[in-house]
Amino acid sequence: MNKKYDAIIIGAGVIGSPIAYELSRMGYKTLNVDKLHDAGEGSTAGSCAIVRAHYSTADGVAMAYEGFKYWLDWENYLDNVTDEKGLARYMNTGSFLIKSQGHDWKKVKKNYDEVGVRYEELDNDKIKEMVPPADLHEFWPVRRPEDPKFFDEPANEVEGAIFCPEGGYVNDPALSAHNIMRAAEAKGAEFLFNAEVVDIRSEDGKVAGITLKDGTQIDAGIVVNVGGPHSFKINKMAKGVWEGCNIKTKALRHEVMYCPSPDGYDYLNDGYHMSDGDIGCYVRPEVGNTFLIGCEDPDCDPQEWVDPDDFYAGKGGHGKDNVLTEEQWKAQCYRLGKRIPTLQVPNQPKGIVDLYDCSDDWIPVYDKSDLPGFYMAIGTSGNQYKNAPVVGRMMAELIDACEKGLDHDNEPFQYKFKHIDRSTDVGFFSRKREINYNSSFSVNG
Amino acid sequence: MQIYVCVKHVPDSAVNITIVDKNSIDENITFLLNPYDEHAITEAVQIKKNLPGSEVIAVCLGKTDARNTLRSALAMGADRGILIVSENGCDSIETAKALKAAMEQDGSPGLIFTGRESIDAEGMQTMFRIGALFNFPVATNVVKLDIEADRAVVNSELSGGTANTYDMSLPCVIGAGRGLNTPDYPTFRDVVNSKKKPIKTIVFSELNIEASLAGANIIELEPLQQKREPKEITGDKAVIAKEIVKILRDKAKVI
Repeated sequence: MNKKYDAIIIGAGVIGSPIAYELSRMGYKTLNVDKLHDAGEGSTAGSCAIVRAHYSTADGVAMAYEGFKYWLDWENYLDNVTDEKGLARYMNTGSFLIKSQGHDWKKVKKNYDEVGVRYEELDNDKIKEMVPPADLHEFWPVRRPEDPKFFDEPANEVEGAIFCPEGGYVNDPALSAHNIMRAAEAKGAEFLFNAEVVDIRSEDGKVAGITLKDGTQIDAGIVVNVGGPHSFKINKMAKGVWEGCNIKTKALRHEVMYCPSPDGYDYLNDGYHMSDGDIGCYVRPEVGNTFLIGCEDPDCDPQEWVDPDDFYAGKGGHGKDNVLTEEQWKAQCYRLGKRIPTLQVPNQPKGIVDLYDCSDDWIPVYDKSDLPGFYMAIGTSGNQYKNAPVVGRMMAELIDACEKGLDHDNEPFQYKFKHIDRSTDVGFFSRKREINYNSSFSVNG
Repeated sequence: MQIYVCVKHVPDSAVNITIVDKNSIDENITFLLNPYDEHAITEAVQIKKNLPGSEVIAVCLGKTDARNTLRSALAMGADRGILIVSENGCDSIETAKALKAAMEQDGSPGLIFTGRESIDAEGMQTMFRIGALFNFPVATNVVKLDIEADRAVVNSELSGGTANTYDMSLPCVIGAGRGLNTPDYPTFRDVVNSKKKPIKTIVFSELNIEASLAGANIIELEPLQQKREPKEITGDKAVIAKEIVKILRDKAKVI
């Protein structure tokens, strides 16, 4: 006889694990299945794990700001569970948003005011005082080194920055997912690893369970797709789900670079998270006193859509597999080299290549589906790590409400944040929405 | 003094190498400056700083896209580059002859650097063959170098961590080892400035190199399959720390 659970969650990353945690706390018997060997070892492990508040919509800012409260109180969030691997640490560096043409910073400021995010506006002298190696010339528009204009001398300066004293990063994203798994297990949740889902079964127009690659069938009346970059493949396994989504997801390849900090600058201990649309980069400190350099998806950069299975197997070929390319290494390091002129760029690329589970408008889909009992927390588009604990609670409440009869498509669920005095309309994340043109259409969300 | 640095355009050691037709590789991957050659360039540029009027010239034998590797050498401080274009692979005899001919055509070497080895073929022959062709002394895996008037005092590291010290006449050939220096990587400004530096292109056939009676061809390449075998270190914190130090010292040999 098949094993049976109340809910099966496909994926045990930093979004799948908190959904299990919160459903378990509500009394659901849950099972997470993941094709990898441990929690957080998929695209979660490749996340830059940045915790910052600036988003292009007020709802986005509110959710991120709510997320801060979880990271700041991590042990309590986990109900003081013990993890034999130790606990992930939130590193509060403070966060710069450079005022530039690369960010609609005025909209961000308005959103900060609306939500009540603490910030201050800094002029360039103050930025120089806080980040001594910075050159604050304006380098806009973002270009690639293949473009001769990339090397043009700048004339003007940026207009200062918005600085949030709250903001930073989590030092070990995979470990943070592992911590949540241990917390979920303490509430009765189960996790099954090295288990690849090959089919979503349905009966009488409702989800019935999953089938694994080895033929094992597991039953549940609720199945949640949190498959990260594999989300579109999982949606296609479930009857009518893919077709019922107006917003689709795809796997987007992304490279993150590690470049040593210049001599004499202790970036690891003295540095800040910085989101710099003027050069199309975001940076944060990483161990070994290095800059971790992410890319803010400027229009000039190619978008590499890939098959996630080929990618992870290293079989996609140049620019399609999990190996850094020299072209992007130079693009990102040289862009940062304009802002930090003493940055020395090694010849050999070093960093991480992983996938975003990217939606059509770079805003996630947190929703039910056209197959009753089948839910989705997908399309996180490289910008939802920081929101994971919030999403866990929100998805659990959404699932619970829908299972109790809520017609979410017509009367969208309103999620009340637990730490800030605000609610959010979960219909904002609907699969049925039209593309949201307020989005930045980038990792900035 | 004209200081020549022979550099090689090699596959990035982090890429997935695919063997094609048994004896070549799929070249649709990232290539870069051979890591040992980074030490050679850094040392040559340092010597130039102490010998006013000197010039550092990077020389590379390779396909057209090896120009990128010469650009890296120029960004690291070489003054100009020479690219010998050969679309066919050369064995070590032809390589050394071509490099010698290009250097002789260009000027008069006072000092020649190579890397200790290239990380692709690992032949470790080029420096010796160049030395033999010029009749210059050669030292390999050099970890310390002092230029004194017309002499070079060289510390050459041997296996097992021991070292020999040689006094060599100039010109000589130096095979740079990892311990020689910390590579001085370019800033963005260095990259901008290097774009104005010239690269002379010579077609291999124009060097009129006499065909060799001897030669070597690659018949078969065998990929190295390295399996990662992660092992969890357990115990209390002191035991774990001790084990990590042991691994770093004995296996990784980085401390």
